[in-house]
Amino acid sequence: MATVLAPPVSESGFSFENCKRNAELIKKGFPAPKATKTGTTIVGIIYRDGVILGADTRATEDTTVSDKNCMKIHYLAPNMYCCGAGTAADTEKTNAMIASQLELHRLNTNRIVPVATANQMLKQYLFRYQGYIGAALILGGVDNTGPHIYSIYPHGSTDKLPYTTMGSGSLAAMAVFESRWHKDLSEEEGKQLVRDAIAAGIFNDLGSGSNVDLCIIRKGSVDFLRTYDEANKKGVRQASYRYPKGTTAILTTKTKNIVVEELSVRQIEAMDVSS
Amino acid sequence: MDYVNDWMNAAESTGTSIMAAEFADGVIIGADSRTTTGAYIANRVTDKLTKVTDHIYCCRSGSAADTQAIADVVSYHLNFHAMELGEQPLVETGAAVFRELCYNYRDSLMAGILVAGWDRKKGGQVYSIPIGGMCVRQAVSIGGSGSSYVYGYVDANYKTGMSKEECVNFVINTLSLAMARDGSSGGVVRIGVITSEGVERRVVLGTELPKFYEG
Amino acid sequence: MSSIGTGYDLSASQFSPDGRVFQVEYAVKALDNSGTVIALKGKEGVVFAVEKLVTSKLYEPGANRRIFTIDRHVGMAVCGLIADARQIVDIARREAANYRSQYGVPIPLKYLNDRVSMYMHAYTLYSAVRPYGCSVILSGYDITDGPAMFLIDPSGVSYGYHGCAVGKAKQAAKTEIEKLKLTDMPTQDLVKEAAKIIYLVHDELKDKNFELELSWVSKETNGDHQRVPDNVFVEAEKSAKQAMDAESDSEPEEV
Repeated sequence: MATVLAPPVSESGFSFENCKRNAELIKKGFPAPKATKTGTTIVGIIYRDGVILGADTRATEDTTVSDKNCMKIHYLAPNMYCCGAGTAADTEKTNAMIASQLELHRLNTNRIVPVATANQMLKQYLFRYQGYIGAALILGGVDNTGPHIYSIYPHGSTDKLPYTTMGSGSLAAMAVFESRWHKDLSEEEGKQLVRDAIAAGIFNDLGSGSNVDLCIIRKGSVDFLRTYDEANKKGVRQASYRYPKGTTAILTTKTKNIVVEELSVRQIEAMDVSS
Repeated sequence: MDYVNDWMNAAESTGTSIMAAEFADGVIIGADSRTTTGAYIANRVTDKLTKVTDHIYCCRSGSAADTQAIADVVSYHLNFHAMELGEQPLVETGAAVFRELCYNYRDSLMAGILVAGWDRKKGGQVYSIPIGGMCVRQAVSIGGSGSSYVYGYVDANYKTGMSKEECVNFVINTLSLAMARDGSSGGVVRIGVITSEGVERRVVLGTELPKFYEG
Repeated sequence: MSSIGTGYDLSASQFSPDGRVFQVEYAVKALDNSGTVIALKGKEGVVFAVEKLVTSKLYEPGANRRIFTIDRHVGMAVCGLIADARQIVDIARREAANYRSQYGVPIPLKYLNDRVSMYMHAYTLYSAVRPYGCSVILSGYDITDGPAMFLIDPSGVSYGYHGCAVGKAKQAAKTEIEKLKLTDMPTQDLVKEAAKIIYLVHDELKDKNFELELSWVSKETNGDHQRVPDNVFVEAEKSAKQAMDAESDSEPEEV
């Protein structure tokens, strides 16, 4: 029985309750609401000492930019991060869920979780939902066997690659990697390359925009560089366009005083702290 | 306007050229390396030759997600079976497990698989499991979208009991011809030689592929 | 037998203080009332011979056979409670058929033996069931691995053998089997030796009538398990009877 103290447990899995509402809206000539999708540029590379993940920060609802500075690089484990493209809600929830499973796994085994394990969990989860969970991911991390990058598609297929891109800006970003990636990049070269790849997405793809986030994972350390670069710096105004004080003329002035009708002071008793 | 074009919905698929052929001491397997989402090449160095057990491999064609999932399930199943059995499973057994999955889930899967390997009972063997879940043993088998271009070449040039290098060259030539004519096949040629000794892997880069008439 | 169990023999799920499971030991006793079954493994095949006791002249010949075919390449000879044994035959057949449909190849005998042993062992663990009152012998032939044979006890324990015997006269039969050089004996000779042993160990005073059952699985049968053909059977039975006659002529009857 449902009470205030014991509310009913919501059923797990997908809820389809909005389908009927959306059908009704369409029938009456209104567009049904669309899910927020991160029309995105996300990338990942292996460099000399680990992996670097990169992402833009634009989230869109149809043609509207719904978030100008969102986070697309998610935490999975101390040695693993994961970029998400596709349906924002799906990428976030998928990563959060796998992150919790990985943490339990790490605690149970008392070891650094291999990146291959996260890859297997993600692909099996996405395959189970046959593409209905719209998460396209780039998984990157460093474990005892070295650095690894995987790209994971919504239907559950995965590729293990030294460098990869995903999202609507993936073509622009891949062009940068294909011309400049090599397997002995230093950290500085790697960061610059990833920044340039994301910037290519931001400038050439309508679905991507705003800033560049980076995440560098080395053996035993991680640098999460939120807003590593603002690709589109807002210009500085040449002059102040504020109106000077007194521009609007005061014609009349009237003052009304507050009337105090009653005044009461309540004395608060000290708390009894004896015994 | 829709920025999120077909890369979200188009399943990653291996428009493919794959091949497996028996020779004197085992089997040669081969594949191109192209993976596509719609018209975009999502991976140009894919490995479509997937290990199932130490002596059984499969060549995958069709949906990447489906074939990867099937290969994972079969691999789990056969390795468990190997422990129960106390010896390596037969290639025939491997093919039967693939067939079981491909047939039972034929309505929701897009998978054309070649199972190839070596066992101590029948030596090198090739089994073809096309979409629909049929399973048939063949001395040589080709699969994927690129295969339609090279059936004639295979029929004209395959001989039973070839030597290793002879057969490897035959597979490389066949795949090069298929990749040259099929738009959704390309990249490098990946080769696997499976004998009683285990597996020997090779790669032939796109620049090293044999050239044929290009006029 | 009167007081040894004393409360610890009522259930298969309870140990006695000295670590025995009496129900299982009693099940083994059920074998001693059954006709002798022997199995011989030679160079290229396995032969079963069964002394099927016929307790009434009213029975049709060939009723209640004790040798079964499990799959094309697997035979099973049983000893003990026949109704219990038929259930084991049934699950072995299912296991073999299942394996064929799942894996597309005949079941390896070693694996079938593991499965049937495990099944029989499960009946020694719970209070709600009693152990099987039978032993079964599995035989098979494989082109690459050659012949194989396993004997499973009511306890679920099993061993591979070159030659084995269970039932009434198992001791006498084992003594006879040990005299043979089994490892390089051709299958035709195995049949004759097996028939001979069954005739030899049959106790004519206690059990009057018996039917001889013979089956083989070998290279000659293409790896199939089958009852031996009529001409081979007649030949084997004849030579067994001759051997018996020769023996009774040479040795003076014991008093």
